[in-house]
Amino acid sequence: MKKELKIKETQTKQKEQKRTNPLAHVFDDFIDFCQSKSLFMLHYCTGCGAIELPPAMTSRFDMERLGVQPMVTPRQADILLVTGYVSVKTLKRVILTYEQMQSPKYVIGICSCTVNGGMYWQSYATAKKLNEYMPVDVYIAGCMPRPEAVLEGLHRLKHNIKNDRKEQKGSAWKDYYQNYDYYLGNQQNLFGDEWQTPVDVIAEAKLYGLESDGTYGENTKKLEKVQQPLLEQEMKIRMKP
Amino acid sequence: MNKQLIDYILNAVNDIKVTHKRERRIRVDVEADSLTTLLESLKGQASFLHLSAITCVDWIEENQFELIYHVWSYEEKCLVSVHTRINRDRAKFVSVYDLYKPADFFERDIYEMFGVFFIGSPRMEKFILTEWFGMPPMRKDFDSEAYVQETFNWTEYNPDWLQELTDQGGGIAIKPEDIRMAGQLHNMSTHRERESAKKDQVVGKGWKS
Repeated sequence: MKKELKIKETQTKQKEQKRTNPLAHVFDDFIDFCQSKSLFMLHYCTGCGAIELPPAMTSRFDMERLGVQPMVTPRQADILLVTGYVSVKTLKRVILTYEQMQSPKYVIGICSCTVNGGMYWQSYATAKKLNEYMPVDVYIAGCMPRPEAVLEGLHRLKHNIKNDRKEQKGSAWKDYYQNYDYYLGNQQNLFGDEWQTPVDVIAEAKLYGLESDGTYGENTKKLEKVQQPLLEQEMKIRMKP
Repeated sequence: MNKQLIDYILNAVNDIKVTHKRERRIRVDVEADSLTTLLESLKGQASFLHLSAITCVDWIEENQFELIYHVWSYEEKCLVSVHTRINRDRAKFVSVYDLYKPADFFERDIYEMFGVFFIGSPRMEKFILTEWFGMPPMRKDFDSEAYVQETFNWTEYNPDWLQELTDQGGGIAIKPEDIRMAGQLHNMSTHRERESAKKDQVVGKGWKS
């Protein structure tokens, strides 16, 4: 059933550390600069938008001159590029992938389908708004966007990474920890109340010091009831008789 | 293609209607009872070994499901499509798994998408739609649009530059909200009413040509 959850507008409890080092901001800027210049991108090619990526990556448009490079695993990637429609079944896998990535992490939604379902808006099987289930940094609309548009989107992302701290904007990846209750609620609406992922997001939020009022709520209480601790997997090779 | 042989096999079945669509394409309409017999004799006598697909069509106004079995013979080089109709309320049919092993796969798919249960099929369980617990979505009486309206939220996008264009008389011809029809069609009773209403709406608010 349709529910409209709202993001709680509360300020984070995060303590602002007093910065005694006069060079601290210089270092911050330097770190942001470096981060924006070297991005590994995991492209989750679920839809037709993926067809625009090979020209964007290869010599014609050459994504690598922006410092963006394809990467094979979520653990090593900085950007999760969701290209095209996300079916409900795929969305589970996208969320698992997203949660495996290490912070700071960024999400780009390509094509109209990630914005609003695109041409599959009538379909029972596709999820409509990607940013209900995970924070999205940049949307690139179009059906499909040309490689120029993809590069433009990456430029925007780089700009954001460089300037978010200066302009005191919150990054999107922090939002996942700060408003985990909202995102979890939307996920539960779709997948049922027994939904859980192998990643303990609340523990991660504590680790990063990003807990806030939005981290906890009704939905996380539901999760606590069903959540099972992770067990070690037995390593076994199954031989055929 | 040995036409005599195939005609001989087909005409052995009661109440059969044979249509030769093209040289190597034959459409056959049979009663549901004699379908397995026909397939068996096609397989045994003319080596129709390959079951290409089983298709299901939902004829909601006639309250029937149509099942279509496409079988191909490598020796005769001929495709026979066997059509049969079953009652929609008692959507059950006999599996042809013991004749054709791939039928397992097709029957499972049809069971999931249309809810036709195949008696004797080895795995009548969830296949692709593992997260789906509603009614079978390919049935005509499943209203995908209404389901979508009930389940999902939409992104609203009204930027300033679009407003400027609209003031000048341009902009978007049909707003997304109008296309989505705001669940009005859900209340209409029959499929046909819904279709006509859809047309009216498109014409009424429709294209600025």
